[in-house]
Amino acid sequence: MNLAVDSPWLLWGLLLNGLPLLNQGMRLHDQPWLTLLPVDRLSQALSLLLKLVAMLVITSLILGLAGLHRREQSRERIGKGAHIVLLLDRSNSMDDSFAGRTPEGREESKSSAARRLLTEFIQHRQTDRIGVAAYSTAPLFVMPLTENKIAVEAAIAATATPALAYTHVAKGLGMALSFFQDQPLTGSRSIVLVSDGAAAIDKDDELKLRAWFQQHQVRLYWLFLRTANSPGIYDVAQDSRDDNAQAMPERYLHQFFSSLKTPYQAYEAESPDALKKAIADINELENQPLHYVERLPRQDLSNACYVLATVCLGLLLAAKFLEVKKC
Amino acid sequence: MIIYPVLRDYRSIFLLVTLLAMLGLFIKPVSQQYAPQYNFTFVVDITRSMNAADYKIADQAVSRLEFVKHQLRALLHHLPCSTKIGLAVFTERRSSLLFEPVEICTSYTELDTAISKLDWRMAWAADSNIAKGLFNTLAMLQKSHSTVVFITDGQEAPPVNPSYLPDFAAMKGKAKGLIVGTGGLQAVPIPKFDAQGNVSGFYQQDDVPHRSSFGQSNLDPSQIEGYDARNAPFGSKAVVGNEHLSALQESYLTQLAHQAGLNYTRLTDLEPLQQALQSPEFSTQQLAPVDVRGYFAAVALLMFCCIYLPPLSSVWHWFRLKKTKDNVYVD
Repeated sequence: MNLAVDSPWLLWGLLLNGLPLLNQGMRLHDQPWLTLLPVDRLSQALSLLLKLVAMLVITSLILGLAGLHRREQSRERIGKGAHIVLLLDRSNSMDDSFAGRTPEGREESKSSAARRLLTEFIQHRQTDRIGVAAYSTAPLFVMPLTENKIAVEAAIAATATPALAYTHVAKGLGMALSFFQDQPLTGSRSIVLVSDGAAAIDKDDELKLRAWFQQHQVRLYWLFLRTANSPGIYDVAQDSRDDNAQAMPERYLHQFFSSLKTPYQAYEAESPDALKKAIADINELENQPLHYVERLPRQDLSNACYVLATVCLGLLLAAKFLEVKKC
Repeated sequence: MIIYPVLRDYRSIFLLVTLLAMLGLFIKPVSQQYAPQYNFTFVVDITRSMNAADYKIADQAVSRLEFVKHQLRALLHHLPCSTKIGLAVFTERRSSLLFEPVEICTSYTELDTAISKLDWRMAWAADSNIAKGLFNTLAMLQKSHSTVVFITDGQEAPPVNPSYLPDFAAMKGKAKGLIVGTGGLQAVPIPKFDAQGNVSGFYQQDDVPHRSSFGQSNLDPSQIEGYDARNAPFGSKAVVGNEHLSALQESYLTQLAHQAGLNYTRLTDLEPLQQALQSPEFSTQQLAPVDVRGYFAAVALLMFCCIYLPPLSSVWHWFRLKKTKDNVYVD
């Protein structure tokens, strides 16, 4: 049942229950000799009942005062959804528009478009557990995997503050993958990487990431916010001398992701609309059966106590009118 | 008339009053009262000097950052439920907001986990200029209604040229907040880490710059040895100092707090920190529903118990009855 009270010391008041046992609580009439009266089972039962009702009034008032409640409970359920870690790029360039300049007038920066659309996205994902990580030169742990949508929204809203430094995607991915450690393997797990650039990943990191993606069974979605006239992820080098990870990090990062043994999907978005489509697509894909824990908030029972007390009081008052009156 | 004789019994009156009190309870269960509300954004310094271990938790030496995390997590239990808390980290010349303030009670687990995951390795750059960091943080959070709580040890690296301090004049009076000084007053070595994150000794005197060599020198050129206006504005002599050791720079932080119009407190224990945070100037009075059912219920309980208290008259009655009985036996 998980019942609890806020102020346990008030429970000493339950001793007041002794009062109705000591005292009839009704007008007594003198009788010359009680032994003269025959034993009346009904009267005895009624007298006991009235005492019990009075004790019920005292008990429920005390429990109400002490703040009886049912503790927050969790219930396991099966629904559709996923464990999603949003990995957000906080490098300086995210604050530019899709045209690659400081946003003017109605223009929207890449980060604000991502912020707006991701907020919409999480509002549609009621049963998901969502976590947030960010990265620039170093990875930032922002919000653990949680059902609490308000907290996730607060984390996404915080990207409205100015961005940081450069892009170190390998560390960011490592941080995002660490969210799945010690988490039950249920439903689909995915990382949504939102970035506007890429960086070369060295061989050591590549090995580790490859192993971790497989170990934790994590899918990867890469929302690549492509700036106009910048290299895309599907570009092919014009000159073979440029065909390396330093010169074309986007292409090579995409190749690395494609070679992972877990599902991977890339979206190249060159405008807020394209980003919207990509997010809608992820929304469709991430609907596998998921064991999730539904939290039932703390339930206040003091009002029920007060209602019970009032009903019992009504009964006692009714009984009062039935008392024998000797005027 | 049936009512009248019933009312002649005092118990009926008490019972009616009890019922009336319960009626009141259901009519007005809550009353709107002004209650202080707090909204804090904790900005935690995660620069290297915060790794210096000069605090203790249960007789174990812990780093300043560990201690700050420990105290912030404990604080979550001690601030009122409706308090909103946001988190940011400071390094270099500015801070990065991790998340906007969320309510403690509804997001307790999330806040607790996020604080416990704060790490010096989150730093995106390795130097530390606290005056500029504070200035940029105040500017960044000026539009939010959050109180900035800047938690730092005041150790700057490289040392700052005093001629290039930000001007807090524009900020003064607009921002409210608290600077929390962490660390001991005794200088202690700063641990050094290798690429795997293991401690590999401490910073030595040769590892760090001991004076600012940025911009123009604030000293009189004739006093500087080996001065050259273009090539050596700070002179040619190598300066050695104690910048590889770190202590709480309290005078510097109080001066900053004074310039920016903030409060200052030193992090020692939970209670002083909590008091400094729950100062009236950081609270906004907001109308909030307060549960007043308890008052009605208490009155009802009191009245109801009176019915069952053995009244004086009945005690006397009982005695008299006994006496009469005794008389009967005598007869």
